[in-house]
Amino acid sequence: MSLKKNTLWSFFSSVKLTIVLLIIIVFVFIAATFIPPHIVQAFTGQLSPGVAELFLLLRLSDLYHSFLFYLLMTILSINLIICSINRFPSLWRQYKAPNFPEPAGIFDNLPQSQIIIVGKDSSQIKQIIKSCLKKNYGSTKEVDTGKGYLFYSERCRFSLFGVYIVHLSILVIIVGAIIGSIFGLEADINIKEGESVNVANLSQYNAIHKLDFSVRCDKFIIEYYEDGTPKTYRSDLSFIKNGQVAKQGTLLVNNPLTFDNYRFYQSRYGTAPDIKAIVTYTNIGKKGGSLTLAVGDSFDLPDSNAKGSVLRMENNIMQMGPAIKLRIISPKKDIQFWVFKHIDKIKKMNSNLLTEVPMFNPGLFHPFVFSIDRMEQTYYTGLHIVRDPGVSLVALGGLLMVAGLIIVFFMAYQRFWVRLEQLGTKNIISIVGLSNRNDQQLQDKIDCLCRRIQEEIKA
Amino acid sequence: MSHTLILSGVTFVYFVSFVLYLFGLINGKEFWGRAASFFAWAGLAMQTIALILRWKMSYDLGLGHVPLTNFYESMVFFAWAIIFTYLIVELLTKNKIIGVFVVPIAFLAMAYSSIAPDVSNRIEPLIPALQSNWLTIHVVTCFMGYAAFTVAFGCGLIYLLKNMEKGNTEKPSGLRGKLPALAILDTLIYQSTALGFVFLTIGIMTGSIWAHYAWGSYWSWDPKETWSLITWLIYAIMLHLRHVRGLKGKRMAILALVGFACVLFTYLGVNYLPGLHSYLKT
Repeated sequence: MSLKKNTLWSFFSSVKLTIVLLIIIVFVFIAATFIPPHIVQAFTGQLSPGVAELFLLLRLSDLYHSFLFYLLMTILSINLIICSINRFPSLWRQYKAPNFPEPAGIFDNLPQSQIIIVGKDSSQIKQIIKSCLKKNYGSTKEVDTGKGYLFYSERCRFSLFGVYIVHLSILVIIVGAIIGSIFGLEADINIKEGESVNVANLSQYNAIHKLDFSVRCDKFIIEYYEDGTPKTYRSDLSFIKNGQVAKQGTLLVNNPLTFDNYRFYQSRYGTAPDIKAIVTYTNIGKKGGSLTLAVGDSFDLPDSNAKGSVLRMENNIMQMGPAIKLRIISPKKDIQFWVFKHIDKIKKMNSNLLTEVPMFNPGLFHPFVFSIDRMEQTYYTGLHIVRDPGVSLVALGGLLMVAGLIIVFFMAYQRFWVRLEQLGTKNIISIVGLSNRNDQQLQDKIDCLCRRIQEEIKA
Repeated sequence: MSHTLILSGVTFVYFVSFVLYLFGLINGKEFWGRAASFFAWAGLAMQTIALILRWKMSYDLGLGHVPLTNFYESMVFFAWAIIFTYLIVELLTKNKIIGVFVVPIAFLAMAYSSIAPDVSNRIEPLIPALQSNWLTIHVVTCFMGYAAFTVAFGCGLIYLLKNMEKGNTEKPSGLRGKLPALAILDTLIYQSTALGFVFLTIGIMTGSIWAHYAWGSYWSWDPKETWSLITWLIYAIMLHLRHVRGLKGKRMAILALVGFACVLFTYLGVNYLPGLHSYLKT
């Protein structure tokens, strides 16, 4: 076994190394959470160019993705693998250890409570012991030792491997994370209602990723609770491949959609800059009308030589609600004025408003009176797109870890031997057990078994 | 009766329980310990009712969510989990001394949640990011873990206290004989840490699954995530030292204290760092 004497091998197989690594990782994490990024940036700015380059190369400004952290994780993984390999043979021997004959000396110096002496027929007692062991531990084996009988039962032999399952799970998670970081992809797209997009901006790099399908946002909806807290962000999406809608679905926060190995998440929303206003006007004694306007649009007013244009359009100006600013040019006049949607309410609050600020009068261009019926806003939905082929491995690792920990902490490999010997007319029953941990629990089990056998014999 | 009124009552009951445990420790008569336990059980029952009432009320308000969604609710649940875990330990060990160090933490959590000016006890509507079935299991498992670590912390404190007195043989204090044996405390520290570790692991996993569905990534190095991992690593180091190197006694007790400091920072301190868990901010 020259391999085991190798200094490098023994370095990597020590638990001391594990502990030291874990402590260093803890300090790296503490540093990473406490040092805000702008301080790191300021610090890099002060470094001499050579050092700054090295700093960048090792990516120390982002500790979680730094060379240092990758190095620590690599050493930890090697440490974990080598520790596991090193300890496996002795564990396997323990697993395969024969149950007969019992480990030497195990029946020596037994406390009185674990010895039962009775005078009944031995074949009857044999049956009782067998049935008690079977009831408690499912199955039992027996051998004829010549001097009497030896029975054996056990539970949770597989729990010997609990620690292995936990350590394996960590490696599985690391592999899953590596696969995700190499083959995975994260990107963002913004789609205006009614439009479709087939390119995404990669989150980590300043680059564009082309999808071989396109995504259309059919509708974006926000709902609010009564107190104004947002309740729902919802995008109705269509996925279009080869010119055909291949899938339609509703995307919500906490309810992603999957298409073609990509997962889509509702992550942001916004309003497109182009608002539209549905404006109606009345003209005393003549026909009124309705117009759909955007900023910069111009329109003719019938029955007059006037031409109007939209200068500004606001969704909520000075907390007074939607408003648009119009300019009307006629042969005699060139005027500008605001049209508020809630002009009646505003007038109520300040009854002299229209005389004081004529510009707020929607009827300033006599005899026309304008009003806003409604504003139409186009939303865009912000989607986060992820492709991560490592997720299933990470999930498997997580499951293994929880299962392993439950085995490690709540299960023990327990073995029980019951010896039946005849001494003259008396039968001597000795009960003993071994466990790989938690002796109190084992003692309780032995006591319980003793009581049970005694009760059965009496009955 | 409104649940907030019951919860103020619970705060008081936990305080009474703590004082009785203290009497029991100083005076040594079994009566005080039993009375203290009675109050702790009564407080737990009242708090359970209050939580159910709050849950029901959220449905009456048309919001309908478990009472585990903001800082106030998490604090109240933390207190509940501490008392619940502690009383189970008390039942199993039949030792009524550990309460002296565990019950006051639950009392402080309750008191802070009701007195602190920047903590709102209103039932708030659930923002879209929190509308998930993973919320309940994530919060419950995390806080059961925190509660088990709190018990380990209480045992650690008693261990160090008793250990200090052991050296001081000239003046045998009245407290010395009444504290549980060091070996029992050592076992309790280990067992509650192991229990907390399993819960914390499940808490991190469920949080990860939730993040996968909500944010698109099972791990984002958000400060709260990182700090939960730091806490996990501290306890992992502690359990490895125990299993592999047979660490016992004073050092285990000190590590239980260090671990608990990390738990508190993960729960409270991290909120002052920027991150994705910001809806827990008060």
